[in-house]
Amino acid sequence: MPGAGAGYNVRVDANRPSSTAPVTWKEFDQNVISHSAAHHLMAIDDLIGTLGYARVSDIARRLGITRGSVSISLQPLKKAGLVTQDENRHLRLSEAGRSLVGSIKTKRLLLRRLLAEVLGVGGAQAEIDACKIEHLVSNETAHRVLALLRFLDEDPERAERLLADWRLAGASCRHAPETCPSCASECLASLVESPPTAPKRKTP
Amino acid sequence: MTTLKKTDVIQELNRLYAEEIEAALRYFHLLHAVRGLDLLLVGPKLKEAHRETIEHAEVIARKIRTLGGVPMLRVSLELDATPVDGRQALELALTVEEAALEAYQDCLRRVEGDVGLEDFIRQQIAVESEHVAELKQLLLD
Repeated sequence: MPGAGAGYNVRVDANRPSSTAPVTWKEFDQNVISHSAAHHLMAIDDLIGTLGYARVSDIARRLGITRGSVSISLQPLKKAGLVTQDENRHLRLSEAGRSLVGSIKTKRLLLRRLLAEVLGVGGAQAEIDACKIEHLVSNETAHRVLALLRFLDEDPERAERLLADWRLAGASCRHAPETCPSCASECLASLVESPPTAPKRKTP
Repeated sequence: MTTLKKTDVIQELNRLYAEEIEAALRYFHLLHAVRGLDLLLVGPKLKEAHRETIEHAEVIARKIRTLGGVPMLRVSLELDATPVDGRQALELALTVEEAALEAYQDCLRRVEGDVGLEDFIRQQIAVESEHVAELKQLLLD
């Protein structure tokens, strides 16, 4: 487990090839914590903040899963030294755990601001997307997002001009890849759209 | 029903139902994840645990139906293909049993006043406590 300053994003693999492109997808598996683990840690932090304590049953109710699942999920977090449990079975975050939660929460905040305030994604969708990637983005990316937000915050009038310009440009997609500076042979805007999802099967 | 509404009781029972079904799936998977001679040692225990959790789930489902409800199952489970040895299997079993025990203890506090349900939950607490004690004994060095 790296120290607080070293970043918790990705385990460093000494044998990693120098070309990153072919192994990028593997980075996902090497992430120190999963989406589920991130939610467990944040649930503990939230519960301690609101109730003053966090038990397995409280986390299970908060996350809408079974106590069995919570207990099993907590095992690697305890082994990693992120979570401790006292004799009353109350859960606490270690210093490393608190640091990790702080990092994830900060990344969520930065991403939510980037998505909502800069890119113009709707508030609810920005929150959902930020939640999906908060624990996956690298510290480097988070720092660059912060730098962009700082640049915009420094001069609100300049920020407003820039954002107004680019929102106008963003709205003018004519779905004409032959004249578009961003598209190659196909319209990227069209390719972004995934096929409609199949209707959910009605449960008996 | 003196303290809890029927819907609340059903909700509590649904939580226990999910615990038991999820535990049964874990035991089933664990049984097939144990390799080698260890299977001879822990296989019967895991099979018995699987059978008992299914039985518990059935009892809970019947209680929900008696109350006029239909059991609702919400479990989120991803069990990977990592082989485990006998000790690891028993450690996981202990975690599952301790979670079940806590679930029943938690439920008992919530259904206080419903004598019939309290009795049932107390019986389950006794059974789960026995399982926990037995597993702890098996895991002694």
